[in-house]
Amino acid sequence: MTMSDSIPLVNDVEQAPAAEAAIEEQTLSLNDPPGQLTQQAPHPSPTTYHRYQIETGEVPDIVPLPPKFRVKVKKHRLVGMVLKELITLKGDIPVALSRPCVYGVFSRPVGGLAPREELCVGCLRCTIQYPGVVQIFPNPMRQYLGDSFVKPDYVETILYEARTGRVPVRGAGYRGVFGGEGWDGLWTDMSEIVRPTRDGIHGREFISTVVDIGEKPAFLRFDEQGELAGPLPAVISTQVPFLFDTPLDNDRSTPLVPVFARAARQVETLTMAPIASIITHSLEGPHVVPVIAAETWNLLEQLSWQPHMIVLEGWDREHFDILRQRFPGCIVCVRVPMDTNVLELVQQGVRVFHLTANYHGYVGDRFIMDLILQAHQSLVDAGMREEVTLIGGGGVVLAEHVPKAIICGLDAVTLDVALAVALQAGFHGECVNRKTASFSFPRMDIGWGVKRITNLAVSWRDQLLEILGTMGLREVRRLRGELGRCMFQRDLEREVFGEELK
Amino acid sequence: MKLNGKTTEERIIEKHQEALHHGFHTWPSLVFDRPSALGDARWTSDLILSTWMQAETGKPPDNGLEYRIGRSGGGFDALAFKYLPREQWIPEQEVVDTSIPLNRRPYDRHISIPIPWYGGGMSYGSVGEQIMLSRAKAARQLGTFTSSGEGGYPESLAPYAEHVITQVATGMFGVREETILRAPIIEFKYAQGAKPGLGGHLLGDKSTTAVAKMRESVPWVSLFSPFPFHSVYSVEDHKKHIDWMKTIHPDALLAVKVSTPVDVDMVAMGSYFAGAHIIQIDGGYGGTGAAPEIAKKNIAMPIELAIPKVHRFLLSEGVRDEVVLIAGGGIRTADDIAKAIALGADGCILGTAELVALGCTRCSNCERGRGCPFGLTTTDPQLSQLVDSDWGAERLCRFYTSLQRQLRTILRHLGLRSVLELRGRTDVLSYSRRDGQHGSRATH
Repeated sequence: MTMSDSIPLVNDVEQAPAAEAAIEEQTLSLNDPPGQLTQQAPHPSPTTYHRYQIETGEVPDIVPLPPKFRVKVKKHRLVGMVLKELITLKGDIPVALSRPCVYGVFSRPVGGLAPREELCVGCLRCTIQYPGVVQIFPNPMRQYLGDSFVKPDYVETILYEARTGRVPVRGAGYRGVFGGEGWDGLWTDMSEIVRPTRDGIHGREFISTVVDIGEKPAFLRFDEQGELAGPLPAVISTQVPFLFDTPLDNDRSTPLVPVFARAARQVETLTMAPIASIITHSLEGPHVVPVIAAETWNLLEQLSWQPHMIVLEGWDREHFDILRQRFPGCIVCVRVPMDTNVLELVQQGVRVFHLTANYHGYVGDRFIMDLILQAHQSLVDAGMREEVTLIGGGGVVLAEHVPKAIICGLDAVTLDVALAVALQAGFHGECVNRKTASFSFPRMDIGWGVKRITNLAVSWRDQLLEILGTMGLREVRRLRGELGRCMFQRDLEREVFGEELK
Repeated sequence: MKLNGKTTEERIIEKHQEALHHGFHTWPSLVFDRPSALGDARWTSDLILSTWMQAETGKPPDNGLEYRIGRSGGGFDALAFKYLPREQWIPEQEVVDTSIPLNRRPYDRHISIPIPWYGGGMSYGSVGEQIMLSRAKAARQLGTFTSSGEGGYPESLAPYAEHVITQVATGMFGVREETILRAPIIEFKYAQGAKPGLGGHLLGDKSTTAVAKMRESVPWVSLFSPFPFHSVYSVEDHKKHIDWMKTIHPDALLAVKVSTPVDVDMVAMGSYFAGAHIIQIDGGYGGTGAAPEIAKKNIAMPIELAIPKVHRFLLSEGVRDEVVLIAGGGIRTADDIAKAIALGADGCILGTAELVALGCTRCSNCERGRGCPFGLTTTDPQLSQLVDSDWGAERLCRFYTSLQRQLRTILRHLGLRSVLELRGRTDVLSYSRRDGQHGSRATH
């Protein structure tokens, strides 16, 4: 079942038809101009199958990126060189004026006297041919993109994905360091001879990226009459294993919450948003997940609709129980730091977690990858893993981080900084955590933002399909905790270079 | 307009060819220092410039350029040789053998090559005919091999057939009985290191009329090689494939190119049982004409980690001396070759290093528009002419000569008289990884 199938999100099966009807009627009510609302994705019929397909299109940057390279031409030498060539070539003008660049950097009538830096791809052919005349430099302005974790090339990648909706493809081989820290110290597996593989990516077979979020009892219970006596699974299925986390609200002039909400609807995933923002923007719908904290608890009274999922910020037994009672059938997710002992909370009835790290993927000095492994393994050891949903966030800024986080044990991830980058957020210093991070956004209309986020989501999903295809997996659900399908650099190095080569 | 018997286009190409050759000569001398936008962690500007210099002089540089390692912080770049004290080195005048056999089974044709490497598969379409010819000519001159890649076998390669490996890949592009019959070695490509599990993709812009004709396809249409072979889902199917080739050409040796998954050791063992003479493992940091960035960095393991895994497994199964293990995907220098062999390979495959010797700056624009602006990974009629195959072959020969010279020096310093003695000698290596380097996709 998927979001578009409008599932009954209730334990009591008798309520299902009513719930379905309610869901079908729900539309996002954004504070948009009416024209923009018409761009919303049609809500598919709950009774018919539709193949998941989101259209993408080019959505140009609002703020132009600084050129990747600076082209420095020594103009007097250039003029001298051309004159010399004219003499040597006996006035053969087409040859003397022919230019080395195939990308049009020197395509203006005055050629190298006014190079078009924005077209330079850094092939260096011009400088190889004429080292005394032209030199190419990496543009230092690019170094100011992002911060120490979200590196400039990460920013470039995300912007490309948000601009085009496509998978970044380039020639030549890998250019970076050997493995690395954090996510880079993990490689995913592939199989030489399995299906559905590449065919799935091109649509002849189907690879599912649907994940289930919710409470999943280990087994069904029946009474003596054979009637269902115990709880049923209560899950939401999203089409992609990534959700949108609550945006930073330090820039209140930017409509981030409405953008994320509409993009989530389009992509058929969920967006988390502070309850205050939801009330302010009059948002509602199956794709909107209110986040409520102790300090906003009093706003609960103003929430006039039944969410399908609600996030409780921090663990509070009393508030948890109140939410369960007030919103029967609603999934109550508890948002706690990634290093929390989840097993303790599971024993107190929590089944859905949003485990968080800071924007750089750390809790204290521990990286998210190790913490996910720990949380997942503790549930596996307790025999509870199948009953619990682990959503995790923080430090997931590139497409490859999604499958890696899932391999380590998450069911789904939340995106934060990557969404901001897609919307061309400028970083003010190090953006490490929600309290201290400071972003500035360009002036945008909601439609532009929705398309950028949608493009990013589609690109990341396509890249997820690449990873799943190489492994021969038909669905992302099977990837969760599949540690046999990954390789940790530290393990391989120990195995290969260990004692013998020290 | 013709001038001196040459068309304008010919004169323009001549001008730029000359300027490029001048640049390949000038930059490694460091007169202009290093181009600041050249190089990355794997292929540093020093490695690129020193490769250009070796391709011109046949010797390693002596002007301070680092020609042995890059700055990737791990793998080959963190491995070092534990050389013997100088007094134990083998003297210069003594012969050090660098040849390896390519068939270790007691039956079938026996081929050996005088240098422990050959050229990797680059298809007609991903590179132009001049590049294929350069590689084939160099292979013949040095007595080694080059691989056709998947995409057919231009007739111009026929005179060099004894040194051309015919590749049979999943798209079967250009695979014909006559080209299989020509080949001394037939190579099955199951996967490629840079994009393991993703098959192949020739962009429409590169599929010119000539390329499409060779591939029996439609011009200007993107061509996908599916993944995997849709007739191979088991070792038994794999054996059937090999038997099929042996039926067509009983005298050929069979090579199997695979990537480096978790179970690369088992895969190699399967290929051995299926009857392969050569197992080529292609590491995750290998080259490509076009691949999703996510694949290059994240899928499958680097070759440095895969070689010992495979070598030790084949050893423990008692079959190591019946099969030839060739490593590719990230081999750049003579030091890399020697380290790969010390880790357990018999020999290596060079791909990107050859292109760098021919002038590649590793700008990663192979797939964009008209293709490589240096005339390497392109089928554009004008750009292709920037490389003359005789010039290219000469550069490759000199580069290879330099590599062989360095390999001999390494062997001498380790007290070994043959490269065969180096195989699996991890005791002559030490590993010291530089931590704290956070990976990045591209560091231009």
